[in-house]
Amino acid sequence: MSDAKDLIEQLFNRPPRGRQRPPAGAPPGTPRFAAKPILIGFGLLLLAWAVLTSFYTVQPEERAVVKRFGEVTGIADPGLHFKVPFGIDAIQIVATERVLKEEFGFRSEDVSSGGRTRFAGEEFPDESLMLTGDLNIIQVEWVVQYRIGEPIKFLYGMREPTQTLRDLSESVMRRVVGNRIGSDVLTVGRVDIANTAREEIQAAMDKYDNGIRVITVELQDVVPPERVQPAFNEVNEARQELERMINEATRQENEAIPRAEGTAKRVISEAEGYATERVNRALGETARFNAVLTEYRDAPDVTRARLYLETLNQVLPAIGSIVVVQEDQLSPVPLLNLRQGQVLPQNTSTSQ
Amino acid sequence: MKNITLYVLILVLALLVTTRAAFVIDQAEQGIIVQFGEPIGGVIADPGLHWRLPFIQEVRRFDKRLLDWDGDVSQIPTLGREFIIVDTTARWRISDPLQFLRSVRDESGARTRLDDILDSVVRDIVSGTELEEIVRSADWQVDVSELSEEEVTALENTDLERPTKGRGLLEQDMLRASSRQMAELGIELVDVRIKRINYIDSVREQVESRMIAERQSIAARFRSEGQGSSQEILGEMERELRRISSEAERRAQEIIGRADAEATRIYGEAYGQDPEFYSFFKTLESYAMLGPNTTLMIDANSDFFRYLESIARP
Repeated sequence: MSDAKDLIEQLFNRPPRGRQRPPAGAPPGTPRFAAKPILIGFGLLLLAWAVLTSFYTVQPEERAVVKRFGEVTGIADPGLHFKVPFGIDAIQIVATERVLKEEFGFRSEDVSSGGRTRFAGEEFPDESLMLTGDLNIIQVEWVVQYRIGEPIKFLYGMREPTQTLRDLSESVMRRVVGNRIGSDVLTVGRVDIANTAREEIQAAMDKYDNGIRVITVELQDVVPPERVQPAFNEVNEARQELERMINEATRQENEAIPRAEGTAKRVISEAEGYATERVNRALGETARFNAVLTEYRDAPDVTRARLYLETLNQVLPAIGSIVVVQEDQLSPVPLLNLRQGQVLPQNTSTSQ
Repeated sequence: MKNITLYVLILVLALLVTTRAAFVIDQAEQGIIVQFGEPIGGVIADPGLHWRLPFIQEVRRFDKRLLDWDGDVSQIPTLGREFIIVDTTARWRISDPLQFLRSVRDESGARTRLDDILDSVVRDIVSGTELEEIVRSADWQVDVSELSEEEVTALENTDLERPTKGRGLLEQDMLRASSRQMAELGIELVDVRIKRINYIDSVREQVESRMIAERQSIAARFRSEGQGSSQEILGEMERELRRISSEAERRAQEIIGRADAEATRIYGEAYGQDPEFYSFFKTLESYAMLGPNTTLMIDANSDFFRYLESIARP
């Protein structure tokens, strides 16, 4: 290289000096002297340029498409390669192994080293808003990941394969979403939609023969339009409330029923207690009666009188007052008035 | 030495002529040699090095690849009078460069023609079609029985019919209608696709309001369903409570009744032996119950008083 520089300096510095000579009467040998180095220098320069532009490197994730006079002659694998210089051979490098992506409805900023993907605040409603089959509006954001499978087709099948991929992705996604009802898209349909979209985008790419291999279609945010979102939340809240009310009622039921069952058992047990008591009392009383009856039958009159008197003995001391009533009398005659000055009711009825 | 200068001159001239005579057709291109504006020979479709007469002939190059066409975003009313925004995209290629050169000269000319043709075809077809037809596809299928109840409510005003054509066929119609005029332009139209459809802003607001109303009615439904279920459960609870307590009451009464009957039988058997004594015995027993708050009214002629008197008198 430095040789070449020297040569250039020689070429451009010397000839002017050389040319100054002819007016001084120098012989015509001078041009011969000058032309030779010019040609040699020119040749060397050309050679250096040729050598420098004859080699190129293809990185591991890339392939190079080699063209001679504009015609594709082959694909070069990674490594150092030789080509014919002077624009006869041209190469175009395509990153075939790299996974590329197109984003719809949002743009993630470039991943800073080690950092997570940050989402740009901007939204792209033109891309993300679409109609569902029930003619509602939905906002879908998605990513298409692809690889350049065949570099020659990628370069020479279409002029704008990437833009076409974008257009087609939008078209296909809208078709797929438009072919389902909104609630389906929002909930269970996601996986299906992504798969169908991937297949259809790939089919279109195959039809265009542009060498793009779609790897995945991933749905990101799938949400109702912003203004409608609160209403969707309201539905969720109402659903929660529904469950809460049912739970509350069930709780009440679970509380009350066992208590009622306990109470029922108690009522029955009490009745059983009463029954036992009643029967036992009857048995007891009749046993007593039977016993007394046996005695009474032996001596009816005496026993009768005795029982009568015994009862009086027992009763009279405890009695509050005794009133004797005579049929022909107007007011009862107090026999024993233990409560002083107590007014007795005027009563002419008789008791027996 | 003069010779050398001459050689150099000749060399430079030869080089100049060669570079003017040789031309490269790229893999992506096809070319036509034009002499004084008149195409000479056929289309040069093979990429590589080619020759022409220098200075007289020039080369017109045309892209051989598949090209994109992106339509203007246009507002079109559908058959149902909804105004929608439609954005279409198409793929095309220059299939007959000679015809292409004659009819539109170059790509920008071609794009102007494509704009005219495609825009009007799209407009015609969209405005003659219901919105559902454009949104849905031929394989549209909604199984109402698989939907949750609230969605059925939300959809009750929506027509869920399968479209007669659907989006795919409409796109094919667009392609067919546009393709008729393409041959004379030397263009092959590969496909026409609807990229975006959306409501215009004012309609969008209406639709959003409708969606809000739908959701609110679903929410209201949930709430009243909750109240209903709650009432139902509470009602069942009440029924159950009454059943439990009444059954218990019934059993208790049965038990009590049986016991009463048993007792009655026992008493009857015992007292039946001597009813007169029984009533005497029982009367005495009940006298024994009398307490301090009792006022005993005794007829002067009764036994009781008689004895009382007879005891007092002597």
